[in-house]
Amino acid sequence: MNALRWWWGILLTFALLGIARVFLPLPFMNEVVIFSIYAMGCNFLIGRVGYISFGQPAYLAFGAYACAFYLFYFGTNPYVGILVGVLGGLIVSLLIGPLFVRLRSDYFAMVNLALAVIVFYLTQKVLVGITHGDNGLWFLTRISSTPLLDLTIPSHFFIFSLLLAALVWAFYKYLDDSIYGACCLATKINENKLQFLGYHNFSIRLLAFVIANSTTALAGAMYAVYLGFVSPEMASPSRAADPVIVTILGGVGTLFGPIVGAIAYTGMKDVISKLIGNWELFIGFLLVFIMLVADKGIWGSLAPVLEKWLFRRKSPDSRGHD
Amino acid sequence: MITPQLLISGVIFGLSIGSIYFLLAIGLSLCFGLMRIISLDQLLYYSIGANITYSVNLLSGNMWWGVLAGMAVAALASFAVERVIFLRIYARDPTFSMITSFGILIGGIGIIKYFWGVVPRPVEVPTLLQVSIFGTEVPVYRLIVIAIAAVVYIGIWLFLHRTIVGKAIRAAIEDVEHVEGLGINVSRLFTLTFIIAGALSGLAGGLHAPLIMVDPTMGLEMLAFVFMVVIIGGLGSIKGTLVSALVIGQVVSLGSIIYAPMAQMAPFVIMLLVLLIKPTGLYGSPVFKR
Amino acid sequence: MSREILSVKGLNAAYGEAKVLFDIDMSVNTGQIVACVGRNGAGKTTLLKSIAGFLKPTSGSVTADNTLLSGMKSYDVAKFGVKYIPQDKKVFFDLTVRENLELGSYATKDYNWDQVIAYFPKLRLLMERKAGHLSGGERQMLMIGRAILGRPKVLLIDEPTEGLAPGIVAQLKSTFREISLKTSLLIVEQNLPLVCAIADKVYAVKDGRIVAELGDKESISVAACERYL
Ligand SMILES: Nc1ncnc2c1ncn2[C@@H]1O[C@H](COP(=O)(O)OP(=O)(O)O)[C@@H](O)[C@H]1O
Ligand SMILES: [Mg+2]
Repeated sequence: MNALRWWWGILLTFALLGIARVFLPLPFMNEVVIFSIYAMGCNFLIGRVGYISFGQPAYLAFGAYACAFYLFYFGTNPYVGILVGVLGGLIVSLLIGPLFVRLRSDYFAMVNLALAVIVFYLTQKVLVGITHGDNGLWFLTRISSTPLLDLTIPSHFFIFSLLLAALVWAFYKYLDDSIYGACCLATKINENKLQFLGYHNFSIRLLAFVIANSTTALAGAMYAVYLGFVSPEMASPSRAADPVIVTILGGVGTLFGPIVGAIAYTGMKDVISKLIGNWELFIGFLLVFIMLVADKGIWGSLAPVLEKWLFRRKSPDSRGHD
Repeated sequence: MITPQLLISGVIFGLSIGSIYFLLAIGLSLCFGLMRIISLDQLLYYSIGANITYSVNLLSGNMWWGVLAGMAVAALASFAVERVIFLRIYARDPTFSMITSFGILIGGIGIIKYFWGVVPRPVEVPTLLQVSIFGTEVPVYRLIVIAIAAVVYIGIWLFLHRTIVGKAIRAAIEDVEHVEGLGINVSRLFTLTFIIAGALSGLAGGLHAPLIMVDPTMGLEMLAFVFMVVIIGGLGSIKGTLVSALVIGQVVSLGSIIYAPMAQMAPFVIMLLVLLIKPTGLYGSPVFKR
Repeated sequence: MSREILSVKGLNAAYGEAKVLFDIDMSVNTGQIVACVGRNGAGKTTLLKSIAGFLKPTSGSVTADNTLLSGMKSYDVAKFGVKYIPQDKKVFFDLTVRENLELGSYATKDYNWDQVIAYFPKLRLLMERKAGHLSGGERQMLMIGRAILGRPKVLLIDEPTEGLAPGIVAQLKSTFREISLKTSLLIVEQNLPLVCAIADKVYAVKDGRIVAELGDKESISVAACERYL
């Protein structure tokens, strides 16, 4: 009954998020949900392939700008815009993926960060003609209302993003349980011994790279629709570590990690910025602390405790299925 | 139109910026070569060097005292970081150290903000003298920066090839276990190397201060360039770092004369091309030795 | 009079979860050449590394010259005079022969290279050559040469003749005899005729255990060793 258990998990989580919406401000919740999608791609790369990317803002920007170009220059339908954004991310990662996934993991991390910086300059300085540089693209009023879920209404947007997050989450869960997930883990754990498989190894990684970065592009497109605005700030290198921090905060490679991490990170950012105003100091030391002391992250450390607690309360017959 | 004057001043500008890249990247490269860590916190020591230079220059009116003080503080900070943090993570994967050192960098930026605020501040150039090279007026300060980088390169070369400790470091870059097997305490070598790297990053910051604005996030702005330098040169190779720092310096400088956005784009394209041909950079070793 | 210089008692070692060595007991006396034989993967390298401090034993003790080695850092073990010469013949490729020897001297403060040259006269001619350009036999000479600086009490040599030409093996054989007058040797070796020619005692290792100890010259023979492989 393993399938049943994770379905319950997903329902519970998203029901909780839905309920939390009553108590917490909507912008905060929207931020959390989009951020958790953002982190899911990163989490997959780190946890399953062993690739740490400090360049996720680049892929976020690809998705956001692809979506923004559509909504600013061509159409008005936000759903199409999001689709265009994901496609943009997909195409870019297909183009650069073959080069990037050949790299050793340390080079991969650095090259991606360099990519983020370049995308930042591209949008800010080079392609000013179409990106309007630092002024950004504004298209909030161009987004058309759609029947059923009207994305121009924040509360509708929240429901939409929650559904989408659940979908993405289930997709990653499915990947994890599939043969492909096992292959990814194999390339991560035993890079050298799988190397003689050459091409095989390569395509496993390429697929992971494309999936993860398309997810990131999806988050970017959602930001674009939600804010009705994009600017180079999105690819800013100073935010390069955000998804990595969220992933690590939540617990690398765990399914709930990105969600827990996104809640914790967004929440802390709100509180800390108000309290001491020195966000960098806090997050920097937190990151070092996590790496040195609790590298399993919040969810990774919490899950075993929670599981134990749940098991104790479960009836013996349901325990037998695990 | 590119005139000879423009070209000469462009080359000098490129050499000076390449010198700064070199001083900064050498730390990253050495740390990777010996300890197999990716030490992003070098960019923190760079910022520290620049900010201390700013303050000491204000107080004493002499920038060179500031540079020295900046180096000293950077060395101290790197010593503390190595003993408290890196000591615990040497055995782990290099990307692990990358995340940790990014945390140190961000946290350190927070500390700098606390002491110096967020406003960009200028540092006056210690000498406004110009000399004429083939009829082109060139600022002496940039020549001094180039000379200092050259001296550092020679110094490091002599240290690694002519002193016994340097030879032990070169041996440990090849194989840590074998050096320990001879009875040499390698962790001392690690600490020493880390301090040298930190001090050189501090020097880079101090020397760079009069050429740019000093602010807390200046390290982040250098990050991509330093990355590109070490990636193109090959992680762990000192010669590669020098070659690629000089190349990138020229590309940034001459590129921006031809077409301004080239300054940022061209190094990136070069990096991609190099990686396409050799995924571990020009002089990088193809495999992990440890 | 020969006395015990190295003694291993109840040694257990593991790589993470995988246990490799089980209750190893062995001893080496001064002036002795002791050999360890066993198949690939038996745990011989692991045994030498545990003695030299590169691998922390899970239990058991290693004592040399009445000093407890287990728990000491590997470089302190080496400084104390128990030196491990690895199997991989990896001298420092980028350093010259001279520099390789200098490092041996630096660690031990013993700058008397005449003893090294006396064992390996050939090294004198190779001083300025990059160690990466040496032949396999020359590398092995350099590895042993830089290790005997500082007059170690025991040398732990891992498969010294693996992949070397017969002429060089013969030369090493006589050198081992000379060295053993001053420094005890614990040698892991697959070349059984060589073992029988030089060893005073042989331990047969199988699946991480010592399955036999041939303690006197008369009982050591190729046939006797083969029985335990
Ligand atoms: N670094 C390691 N990690 C895990 N297992 C190892 C490692 N090194 C060796 N082993 C295992 O320990 C056993 C003994 O290896 P080793 O001591 O090298 O054998 P020998 O030197 O006798 O050929 C082997 O089964 C080998 O697979
Ligand atoms: Mg072996």
